[in-house]
Amino acid sequence: MSESVEPIQHGSLLHYRPWQGQLEDDSRWGVFLFVGVQTVLFTVMATISDLHWLRLACILLFVALWGLVVRSRAWPITRVALLMVFRRKLFWVIYTLAVLVFLLFFFGQYLMSWALTQFGETEVRVGGMGRANPKFLVDLFRDQLKMNGSAEMFRNFFWYEGYTVMVILALAGSILVGNDIRFGSLAFYLSKPISRWDYLIGKGLAVAVFVNLITTIPAVLLFVQFGMLEDWNYFLEQSRLLVGILGYGLILTVTLSLVLLATAVWVRKTVPLIMTWTTLFLFCRLLSEALVNNLQFDPRWRLLDLWNSTMYLGHLCLGIQETQIRPWPQPAWEETALVLGGVCCLCLSYLILRIRGVEIVT
Amino acid sequence: MATTAATSSVQEGSTLSAFLALIWISWKRQARARQMVWIALGLLVFSLVAVYLQTARDRWGMHHWRWPRGRDPKALTYLEAVNRLPLVLAVVQPNAPGQAVQHAVFGATRTILSPEARVSLPSTTDQPRYGDRLACSAFQVFSQAVVFSIFLTFLLPLWSLSFGTEALGGDRENQSLLWLLSRPIPRPLIYLAKFLALLPWCIGFNLGGFALICLMAGTPGRLALQLYWPAVALATLTFAALFLLIGAYFRRPAVIAIVYSFCLEVVLGNMPGYPKRVSVGFYARSLMYERAEDFGIQPDRPSVFLPVDGQTASLVLIGAALLLVGLGMWMFSRTQYHEVE
Amino acid sequence: MPELLDSADPGRRDRHLGQMQNPSEMPKAEGEVPHAELPLSRERKDQPLLLCQRVSKWYGPVLGVNQVTLELRSGITGLVGANGAGKSTLMRLITGHLRPDLGQVSIFGIDAWSAQAKRLVGYCPDVDAFYEEMSGWQFVEAMARLCGYSRTESRRRTEAVLHRVGMANRSDRRIRGYSKGMRQRIKLAQALLHDPALLVLDEPLSGIDPVGRAELVALFLELAEQGKCLLVSSHELEELEKLTDHVAIMARGRIAAVDTVARIRDRLADHPLTVRIDLRKNGGPLANGQSYRHHRDLAAQLLAEVPEVCGVEIVDSPHPLVGRLLVRARQAERFFVELNRLVLDECYEVIHLETLDSSTQAVLGYLLRK
Repeated sequence: MSESVEPIQHGSLLHYRPWQGQLEDDSRWGVFLFVGVQTVLFTVMATISDLHWLRLACILLFVALWGLVVRSRAWPITRVALLMVFRRKLFWVIYTLAVLVFLLFFFGQYLMSWALTQFGETEVRVGGMGRANPKFLVDLFRDQLKMNGSAEMFRNFFWYEGYTVMVILALAGSILVGNDIRFGSLAFYLSKPISRWDYLIGKGLAVAVFVNLITTIPAVLLFVQFGMLEDWNYFLEQSRLLVGILGYGLILTVTLSLVLLATAVWVRKTVPLIMTWTTLFLFCRLLSEALVNNLQFDPRWRLLDLWNSTMYLGHLCLGIQETQIRPWPQPAWEETALVLGGVCCLCLSYLILRIRGVEIVT
Repeated sequence: MATTAATSSVQEGSTLSAFLALIWISWKRQARARQMVWIALGLLVFSLVAVYLQTARDRWGMHHWRWPRGRDPKALTYLEAVNRLPLVLAVVQPNAPGQAVQHAVFGATRTILSPEARVSLPSTTDQPRYGDRLACSAFQVFSQAVVFSIFLTFLLPLWSLSFGTEALGGDRENQSLLWLLSRPIPRPLIYLAKFLALLPWCIGFNLGGFALICLMAGTPGRLALQLYWPAVALATLTFAALFLLIGAYFRRPAVIAIVYSFCLEVVLGNMPGYPKRVSVGFYARSLMYERAEDFGIQPDRPSVFLPVDGQTASLVLIGAALLLVGLGMWMFSRTQYHEVE
Repeated sequence: MPELLDSADPGRRDRHLGQMQNPSEMPKAEGEVPHAELPLSRERKDQPLLLCQRVSKWYGPVLGVNQVTLELRSGITGLVGANGAGKSTLMRLITGHLRPDLGQVSIFGIDAWSAQAKRLVGYCPDVDAFYEEMSGWQFVEAMARLCGYSRTESRRRTEAVLHRVGMANRSDRRIRGYSKGMRQRIKLAQALLHDPALLVLDEPLSGIDPVGRAELVALFLELAEQGKCLLVSSHELEELEKLTDHVAIMARGRIAAVDTVARIRDRLADHPLTVRIDLRKNGGPLANGQSYRHHRDLAAQLLAEVPEVCGVEIVDSPHPLVGRLLVRARQAERFFVELNRLVLDECYEVIHLETLDSSTQAVLGYLLRK
């Protein structure tokens, strides 16, 4: 971290170096600025229709901006938190599952592409139904398995990896945040030249990095892999899909980070935290499914299910057709976005209140 | 103290008294309001409110269902339309085969939808007189939406583990197991006493909670309570034995129990073939399906689910509970708890 | 509470159970726990109360206790050792909380792991965990019930032990509100409930104020007088020396020595003794016109003229006019004769002379370095 800092002139945003955050509130402004720029970039790349190169440039800038977080004052907190999560042996079982899912898709795509190159123009007999080109059959098979670099493939990938992330976060929440409040380490952090915002951002970043490490980054790798196996034009033609992947990751990141931080600050201990998460993401899911599917209630009852809302918006980001979305019916996406945004705002407000309430006793 | 008198009345402690005292003390200590119990209670209240709202709005049956969803007529509207069909067809004057089809469609529709068509209840049971098939659908909806979906998948394991893992796991966590292990009670008896002290809480909460939810649902709930309570009781027994064992063996019992309940049970329970037969939920469901067979309750895909008969399910659940308790007693008598010091 | 007795270790007088007085015949203080007649057969009376035979215990790859053999009959024995020496592991083995990987631990010939053995052992652990929701009285009574006593008997014993540890009128409050000292007393009370023949006390005096310590020390001495066997571990070596001079010293999982502090010290005669000598730097003139000499001269003379001296260290003294030497020497008797001669002949004004390693602490230090 830079120690030689200059006094800041308030009122002039140009003088802020948000990633260095010299004053108590700098980090907050830094985050606002960062989120603002990212939102603008995301909106641009999501709305551009034909200018593929411009979209790719925006994507690169969007990703590069994330690199700045390494220079922020909150980064050491993030690093320590991540180390704590990766050190637990129990979690490695779940990481292994996540890696297995990734490898399944990675080698699935590779296998299908390889299989396609193994057939010539000869035709084979298919049962008693006539003859067909084996390449066509493999293509059909690949489409059925959704190993075809399509939005559906990424939907499936996010679906499986999302569950893994959710389970790990439920177990890791108390390690990341709860223990700091329970055992008084928060006061220790705050007695250092670190503001409350730095702490909050640091922990949030830890969750964000973790979520992206397991979902978005492998998804982008799969995207790149498919483009390299198929055709370079895939990158340009499907750049909208890449935006969708980033958008899906962003929704997961923001929602899970804020909900996790808020619940971990609230209940602190591991077991109640897991129970709270199970209630939020499993009980509410079962309840909303029972209400909408079994009792024929209005689909808006699905809004109870945060996980469904996150996935639903993610699917829309990927550009999945409504008919392909499961479960169905769903409420309007605007309503879902509103509820998810509201939950995030609530969590953020609670966090700010809670962190302000911590006193440093020296 | 009058020492002479005291000395003369000195008595040796008896193991049986110590065992009974341990049951009583453990039972009382389970009552401590902990965060997990509060969450369990909160879920019960939440479920009760949800069920009450459905009952108050008379939403359990299928009579308000529409097809296609949300837009077109309800089932009874179809019935009215079918009832008017002979009048329409009388004008058309269909031929004999046409009349046969007409009668078949009309009869089938009436059988399914008509309030006059009574459900044939088994003669051996003394359920309350239950209305027509549409009314009977309330029981099916309640079973699927509440009993199988929410209660058996979520509430039953969660409530069981809230108490089960705490019985020994809580003592281990706050290091107070030391006091029990210092007393002259054989270790297997300590384990057994903990299990016996746990049972009233587990069964009380699960069966009591289930009864409350069912009673809140009105007629379909009462029928569900009557049919399903043995499965709930037996599943609770097995879950209690399992979670107590997890509490005795693992350092973080609640985490392991939660992972087991919501990952392993769900994954195993949805697997095709026989792997699902190691899950507790499978046997509870099999027992429920058999008991409610006459009301049209069956697995979504019976050929995939492959339920066992009720007697086997009951025997397996009881046997598993006994086996787990026996195993726990044996393991507890041999385990050295380093963390209690 | 009984008065503090003069004898440092009364229990040592009759270390064998065979010579032990019948506890029921002994006069008892008010509030004393009634003694259960120990079911001692003739052959049991000949057996040691506690016998550890070549006991070893591993924690994974770490050896916690290594080939420990220990035999106790009655009286107080201190268990001393640095952190990680294996004291607590040994206590857990004795109280049947752990099982030895090799060897055997028995109480009157009964395996310490068994429930019967626990009737003969009272354990006051170092762990500060209770049933926090209970009051002190409720907790001790619950422990009495878990010993298998009837409700009436449990109440009687609870009242008696609480009186004995000085908690009779403070036991109705919840334990979570207790001070460290009160918690320590409650732990002690539950250990005394069933009138065990062997009391294993892990750091029983930690966290207790000086007055309370004196009371508890007196209680331990009284128990020892009644023929009980007490095994007391402590880091407070000064306190332990008040309680007993019979210590078992543990180092690196082994019992390095079991004896009185003095005898252990004797056995270590070849080990250098450390003596602190304070001398006045600018002493006044003597009658013969000479003046007192500087402490540095003494250091030089000791090194040059006394073969028993292994080394001399000149250390800073808190007083500017006082010079301080730390002398390490073998063969203490001869060294002191030589020192005496030098001081008298060469006019040194010695104002303080102290042997630093006659205490248990120093003996412990020696053994640990061994």
